[in-house]
Amino acid sequence: MKRLSVLLSIIVVMSMLLAACGTPAAPATEPPAGEEEPVVDQPTGEKTVLNVWSFTNEILTMAVAFEKTHPDVDVVYTMIPMTNGEYQTKLMATLGTDQVPDVVALEAAFVKSYVESDFLADIGDLQQYADELEMYPFVYEVGMADGVHKAYAYQATPGALFYRRSLAKEYFGTDDPVEIQALLGDFDKYIAAAEVIKEKSDGNTYMVASNGDFQNLFFANREQPWVVDGKLTVDPMVDKMVETVKIFRDNGYEARATQWQEGWFAGMNDTLQDAEGNPKKVFSYFLPTWGLPYVLYPNSTSSDGGSTTKGDWAVIEGPLPYQWGGTWLGVMEDSAKQDLAKEFVRFCTLDEENLTNWATGVYTNEYLKAVDPTVPDDQYQAAGDFVGSQVVVEKITASFDDSEMSNFLGGQNSYGGFAAAAPSVNARLMQGSDDAIQRALNDPLNSYLEGTITLEEMWATWKDAVRNEFPDLIIE
Amino acid sequence: MFKKLKHHQYGYLFITPFIIAFLIFSFYPILNTLLLSFTDRTLMSRTFNITWFRNFQLLFADKTFITAVTNTWELWLMNFIPQMAIAFLLAVWFTDTRLKIKGVGVWRMIFYMPNLMMASAVAALFFSLFSFYGPVNQFLVRSGFIPEAIDFIRRPAVMRGLVVFIQWWMWFGQTTILLMAAMTAISVSLYEAALVDGASTMQMFWHITLPLIKPVLIYVLVTSLVGGMQMFDIPYLLTDGRGSPNNSILTNTINMYMKFHSSKGHIGAASAVGIVVFLMTSVVALLIFFLLREKHDHPEKNKARSS
Repeated sequence: MKRLSVLLSIIVVMSMLLAACGTPAAPATEPPAGEEEPVVDQPTGEKTVLNVWSFTNEILTMAVAFEKTHPDVDVVYTMIPMTNGEYQTKLMATLGTDQVPDVVALEAAFVKSYVESDFLADIGDLQQYADELEMYPFVYEVGMADGVHKAYAYQATPGALFYRRSLAKEYFGTDDPVEIQALLGDFDKYIAAAEVIKEKSDGNTYMVASNGDFQNLFFANREQPWVVDGKLTVDPMVDKMVETVKIFRDNGYEARATQWQEGWFAGMNDTLQDAEGNPKKVFSYFLPTWGLPYVLYPNSTSSDGGSTTKGDWAVIEGPLPYQWGGTWLGVMEDSAKQDLAKEFVRFCTLDEENLTNWATGVYTNEYLKAVDPTVPDDQYQAAGDFVGSQVVVEKITASFDDSEMSNFLGGQNSYGGFAAAAPSVNARLMQGSDDAIQRALNDPLNSYLEGTITLEEMWATWKDAVRNEFPDLIIE
Repeated sequence: MFKKLKHHQYGYLFITPFIIAFLIFSFYPILNTLLLSFTDRTLMSRTFNITWFRNFQLLFADKTFITAVTNTWELWLMNFIPQMAIAFLLAVWFTDTRLKIKGVGVWRMIFYMPNLMMASAVAALFFSLFSFYGPVNQFLVRSGFIPEAIDFIRRPAVMRGLVVFIQWWMWFGQTTILLMAAMTAISVSLYEAALVDGASTMQMFWHITLPLIKPVLIYVLVTSLVGGMQMFDIPYLLTDGRGSPNNSILTNTINMYMKFHSSKGHIGAASAVGIVVFLMTSVVALLIFFLLREKHDHPEKNKARSS
């Protein structure tokens, strides 16, 4: 009996192992690392199959809309989360094999390394549509390497500064965006305002939740890229960033939360408490266009519903123009369906009707279900995503005067705010190695802020870390 | 003669699946890694050059790599030594015929439990517990142990301690079970004879238990060494996946993964790390075998047979 049960358990274990390594040809999905579940839309019928890989469920909405206008195509959509870089790993590992998808979604952090690589197809003939729709230049410049267009984006993601109206009234006597913009128009003013808030609140309100929030702004306003002629280069703006971050830490202007962690979100709905249980408040958050509907809005009410900051926010351009994130679409050069893949990219990023539908909330769950009944119940695109075409933006801005997002911002038209910020964004300095180089600075910078290493040690540690990841880079 | 040969062939037949699996899943990857390590190949480009030993040169000139190697050794030794100590203690207690501890099976199961949990879940749990706004800070501050919250995640000593503790906590049950299995296999008559001769518990441990479980001991030591040199999941998931804070929990495999995962995917350089770790582990494992070998193996065996 005992032997039998041992045998049985061995069989069970073996079968699980075998099951785990089965069906390698099917579009594989990584195990979910966060709450996001991988979604694989199964092919049906005799239609032409187009494989699309992405790291969120967002583009599934477009894929369904694409199936509506292209009934002979079946888009097989594979979602692989990138919480811990699973998506990048999976994509990198399939490059040059026959398992590459036809269309790939590329996030800002790694789009440039793919654009600079040998694996994305030249889709320059789409540029005429981009010109027609007056796409914001930085949107397609990111998708260019050596003058060749390889990726386009449907969004433009200019950054902005969101602040709490009630706190602005309390500390500055006004919550008017124009006046607050004048007060926070550059970083010296922003630091001075942080001091005012600290004093008037007895240290109970922080200017910002984490110092990671505004590092992007300095990087976005450099004059030299990280790598000049194969040499690692530090722009004066980076020194300025380190200085500013240090001021914020030493003076207690930041809540010392970590981006995307509990404390950071808690500040959005006013439930932040220090270790003793004293309530703390956060005055402002640096977030881009997508930060409003996807980050700030959903986190503005605490999980128990007891505390909400809805309607208490306003948006301004902030101290420096910047952009953060964004999703680009590219066609794999090894794809056998170049034309169809290109058409998919055109539809998603450079089609006036699709972009308008996308931004104005036409793609409801009912709309999608009518095309494909297997679409999940929570799949839809709410109005408000900021698209990359100035033609579309100008046409639809007025329709947001009374939207949910505008009510959330105390009646301020969010779309108009972003439209004002978008033209000053510049992404020409962006390089494939940016993300890794900036990430490498994170840990040494924090050690420096803690006071465990000196400024020179910080730069040395950072250079070692960069050298470790980029063996070919010249580092002095 | 023919019959004998056929018997031999049966033997080969039985080991063929292993040989095939080994060649495909172990030997080929190692060979491929070795070949890759001589190139500057990246995942982002179709062409590459053969650079011979340049990757290794760069590696040994690289402070981060040296830090990773030292870290890996330190983290492994710091968890392995207490792990062996506790496992020995528990195994001796549980197998002791005089103590007769009740519910050995239940204890063993409880000790083994942590090993069944996913590393990612364990890492996420400890990260939340020790974060700046987490429960550990809340408890310590509210009960007056520390005046204000400490950013534990940014403290190298705390994070190293956590990695060591988690590794120990996840693996001591496994080691205990292996040692217990080895100890229960020792014939009770040996202990009875020793008892009659008036041996103490310590004497029995040193002169009976330890020599007789040596093969298992070598096995535990070598597998733990191999596992320790490849330590990845806990330190990777506990902080930012780059060995933060201040490279204090950067291990060999994290370093290798970082090279693979950098924007270009430097698999040539990553392979060089893999090869160095492979050589290092092999040399130390062979050293263990050599040092713990049966020194008077043959004469004793012959004596036993002749008597």
